[in-house]
Amino acid sequence: MQNDGSNKAAPGQAAGAPRISITVDDTRRVRSLNVKAAVDNLNFYYGSHQALKNLTIPIADKQVTALIGPSGCGKSTFLRCFNRMHDLQPNTRYEGSITLHPDNLNLVGHGVDPIEVRMRIGMVFQKPNPFPKSIFENVAYGLRLRGVRSRATLAEEVEKALRGAALWDEVKDRLQDSALALSGGQMQRLCIARALATTPEILLFDEPTSALDPIATAKIEELISTLRDQVTVLIVTHNMQQAARVSDYTAFMYLGELIEFDEAAKIFTNPSKKATEDYITGRYG
Amino acid sequence: MTPHPSDPAEGHTAKVFDAALSELRLNVITMGGLAIDQVATAVRALLECDSELAQVVLARESQLNDLERTIDREAFRVIALHQPVAGDLRMAKAVSRIVVELERVGDESKKIARFAVRVATGEPQGPVRAVARYIRHMADLTAGMLRDAVRSLDEADLELARGVTRKDSLLDDEFAAALRQLLTLAMQDQRYLGATIDTVFALKGLERIGDHAKNIAEQVVFVTSGEDVRHRKKGSR
Repeated sequence: MQNDGSNKAAPGQAAGAPRISITVDDTRRVRSLNVKAAVDNLNFYYGSHQALKNLTIPIADKQVTALIGPSGCGKSTFLRCFNRMHDLQPNTRYEGSITLHPDNLNLVGHGVDPIEVRMRIGMVFQKPNPFPKSIFENVAYGLRLRGVRSRATLAEEVEKALRGAALWDEVKDRLQDSALALSGGQMQRLCIARALATTPEILLFDEPTSALDPIATAKIEELISTLRDQVTVLIVTHNMQQAARVSDYTAFMYLGELIEFDEAAKIFTNPSKKATEDYITGRYG
Repeated sequence: MTPHPSDPAEGHTAKVFDAALSELRLNVITMGGLAIDQVATAVRALLECDSELAQVVLARESQLNDLERTIDREAFRVIALHQPVAGDLRMAKAVSRIVVELERVGDESKKIARFAVRVATGEPQGPVRAVARYIRHMADLTAGMLRDAVRSLDEADLELARGVTRKDSLLDDEFAAALRQLLTLAMQDQRYLGATIDTVFALKGLERIGDHAKNIAEQVVFVTSGEDVRHRKKGSR
């Protein structure tokens, strides 16, 4: 992959976001993509253990990028670099950069405040984790933290976020009920609404459906597909079919390294690397 | 990572998936063997004016139809139950296509066998005798192409499959030469017109069988490399 040097924004694209060209599929067609975040030679260490090794991946703007790989390959570690979750643990160290466009902010840079990073990068976890508050307050929480006080604005933004998370119709008549009374799938969509309320630039999903039944899973997958219109999505999943269904681009990681990155359709029909083929066809082990 | 197994249908963590894919492939190879034998037997019946041999071909035709249905259903089941991806998905998809090609090989053999019955029971033998050398050569070529195509699937041999696609032009040349011979015959003696037309159809059938072998080989190229080589111009790779 290479930067095509144009640095030109596509229609609807924030000015300053670079475009790069990657070579995709059998025809070796070159496709340009708008980069929301450029991961460049990223290394990450837990103490002396190096968990991520020289990762270089373009994260496409307003697209879904899936990270797949066996347990322990570093995909969740990689995801957590984006919102500096590792800073909460002692003896961790980043090298390299994750440059967020359009303002070229290095998310893992030394002088960059992790709180500022988390304001711009939202995260949804494996297990739904609503606050023990009402449905409304769960979604309003991030807005209140940002100083929104107007009740009208809060109500408007909460509705917008709940609609964005495809939950509004199910909860509009019981916004003051406890969030803990919702079903697992609804709780997960509430967590997505909570993340959406603060209009993040990137939304991180760490195995968001592994605790859900197939119907709730389908709803979340449908939601992720629609979210790509408003936010860049990065998702870690163990479910290969899920990665194939929801992602535009897929990265296969193994032992902390990036093995292959390409369009999802290419990865799941004709991957370039034997290691990728072995893993996705179930020959790994 | 474990080393990649030499057998493309093996090495899955789920052995039941290995078994399903292996069975699919083995059934296609069995069907291929039957189709090759149908071509050879039908041509022998024609050249030797052997009605009984032709009846063997006609009687076995339904076996190919049954195999087509069974294998196609099995491929459909593998896709539904195992959700294959990458090489496994290409194999399941290609198998569905290959059995259609093999069934059509059976159809062409059936037509040649029916003509053999007519020739053995009174239709003039002149046109067949006039191009017997071409018929024999074309039958050898098509059987060889079919054999290589099926073997290339069995052994996941990309080069063998590519070789089949290149041989198709030899068959086209033989067909053109046989047509010229028959045209001369038809102009010389109009009593042979009906039998000449039937002989042209038999030759055309062999030429079509070559096309089916080429189509099968193209599917094998797709399975082994992911490359779609259909409708490529001759000479290009």
